Amino acid sequence: MSCQTIIEQFGDRLDGRLSAAEQAAMEAHLAGCADCRREWEAYANAWQVLARDPGIEPSFGFAERTLRRLAERPSRVHWWSWRPSIRWAVLAATVAAVAVTTWVGHERAVGRKHAEVYARVQQADYLEDYDVIANLDQLKEGGRP
Amino acid sequence: MTVMASNDPDVALMLRVREGDTEALRELIERHQRAVINTIHRSIGDAWEAEDLAQRVFVQVYRSANRYKPTAKFTTWLFTITHNTILNERRRRSRHPAESLDALQDPADPESAGWQPPDPAGRDPAQEAVERELREKIQQAIQELPEAQRTAVILCRYEGQSYEEIAAVLGCSVSATKSLLHRARLTLKDKLRGYY
Repeated sequence: MSCQTIIEQFGDRLDGRLSAAEQAAMEAHLAGCADCRREWEAYANAWQVLARDPGIEPSFGFAERTLRRLAERPSRVHWWSWRPSIRWAVLAATVAAVAVTTWVGHERAVGRKHAEVYARVQQADYLEDYDVIANLDQLKEGGRP
Repeated sequence: MTVMASNDPDVALMLRVREGDTEALRELIERHQRAVINTIHRSIGDAWEAEDLAQRVFVQVYRSANRYKPTAKFTTWLFTITHNTILNERRRRSRHPAESLDALQDPADPESAGWQPPDPAGRDPAQEAVERELREKIQQAIQELPEAQRTAVILCRYEGQSYEEIAAVLGCSVSATKSLLHRARLTLKDKLRGYY
């Protein structure tokens, strides 16, 4: 077994997750490889030394103070603190909604303008004789439209 | 559901919390306050803020109780809420660095490290200073780990969580958890050289 493979199994050894065969192979390798033995000792000792930090104790009345907070209203989380993927999705959806609303509004305004112009055209007196004007050439030639 | 409840006293308490029983919540807090406070403290390095965030974790446990399903160990659910609270706090700090309480505290001041239990061995001050330096070195080494590695180390080393439970908290596979722990241990081996 290579040194790299042995080192990758250090965690399993530390957590007691090696099979009997793997454990035996590791022992055999460490017995004959001073570098890996040194690495293993450092790896295991560093993990052991973490226990020298015992942690802190909760302050007196922690549970009481926590229970008092149950009555508080949930604080509102600013939308920018959401998970980045959700944040960008919301931002993109908002931009898209604004764009669609603006476009629809613009289209409606243009439609209203056209309707207004059409109504005015319908009511224009000077277009009453449009057929005559359109067929003027035929009239000049004496023909009938 | 009843199987889980009968095996795990936390699940039984949580089912009572789901019914709005605040006495059950008090029991849950008393059982797990130290684990939650220390998980946060080891991650963000500020004792006062760790307590504040730990309170928020338990308030969240209460408010989310009706969504709780006793299909896994209660601690997996609790540490998932704790992990998410830490992530939110880190995001908040990155946006408003000046608002963190630790920005107002002197790291050399022992008060800012929170209340430490009295030394039962009654060691002399020099020995105590060495121990304090070691503790600070350990805390610094852990805090400098990447987020997922740090959580994996804290849950494995200090809270005795299995690879499977850590994987559930981090939302990754067991093999990914194993890899995170291995890389973290290699880093800690280098950073703590001279202290073991």
